[in-house]
Amino acid sequence: MKCKTIEELLSPYLEDELNPEEKGTVAKHLKTCENCSLLFSLMKETQESLADIPELEVSENLLDRLYSIPRKKKRFKLRFPNFDFLVRPSLQPILTVATIMLIMISFYFYGPNKSSIDKSISRKIGLGYSKVGRLYAKAESFTASLGEHKDNILVSLKNIKLPGGNED
Amino acid sequence: MLVDSYSKRIFNMAYQFAGSYQEAEDLTQDIFLKLYNSLSKYDFKRNFSAWLLTIARNYLIDQYRRTKWEKQTRDNFNDHYLTSETFENPEEGAVKEENKRTVWQGINNLTSEIRMAIILRDIQGKQYEEIAEIMSLPLGTVKSRINRGRLQLAKILKEKKERRNEM
Repeated sequence: MKCKTIEELLSPYLEDELNPEEKGTVAKHLKTCENCSLLFSLMKETQESLADIPELEVSENLLDRLYSIPRKKKRFKLRFPNFDFLVRPSLQPILTVATIMLIMISFYFYGPNKSSIDKSISRKIGLGYSKVGRLYAKAESFTASLGEHKDNILVSLKNIKLPGGNED
Repeated sequence: MLVDSYSKRIFNMAYQFAGSYQEAEDLTQDIFLKLYNSLSKYDFKRNFSAWLLTIARNYLIDQYRRTKWEKQTRDNFNDHYLTSETFENPEEGAVKEENKRTVWQGINNLTSEIRMAIILRDIQGKQYEEIAEIMSLPLGTVKSRINRGRLQLAKILKEKKERRNEM
């Protein structure tokens, strides 16, 4: 077996994970190959050295730093899933308009000038009513005057000669 | 609390991986920050330690790729690791200490994935299955990476010994 293949088996050989056949092959090779044998003993030394590296204690300074790490704040979430639709982006324009309306209404009800707003509104409504009343009266007088001159108008219309009409 | 239970594990993993004490402290803080922000995503069916170490492993490897620590030098082994062992044979003890220093520096020559696998297996002594879960890799890939890492470190140790013998 080539040295390269044996190298791949050194760790499992060291940890006794090979089957008896492979184990025998590696052991036989190590007896005859000086390089692989040296590499194997150095691998053992390496493993021992690594296993001997002790654990360090954490410094007080680092512990203080770790204890002071703030927990990430939980994201805001509505508790009632039924109201989740309120935070949908598509509803935002509607909610904005509704908010503006509510603000205006609250200004009307709770503002200091409620009585003057009421007066101006009723004045505007009164003016509107009187304008409509006047227009209605005008329309009535026009209908009456039209009735008086009805016969004369019909006669005049009959006497009008339209161009291109039949003359009998 | 998370800090009490896991800070030592995460800090040691970061130090073994990065090789710089200062860097390891900053990395540990970043990992905990990431951990707190990811707690809501934790799947209760998973092993918590493995999940936490996966976060740490991903963060360390991402940072490694971004900043290329391999160009930086590691702290000297004795800067923070004190030798407490006493050897009957002082010469044998000196060789072992020298080996540790060489292997510690040699970790810098390993790629991020191999380095992480070696740290988890040979320094922290984790089972292959656990390493495969932490690294999200098939068991065979993990074993092959660990073998490659050990071979690389053994070759570094060999070169070091040869140079010492030449002197």
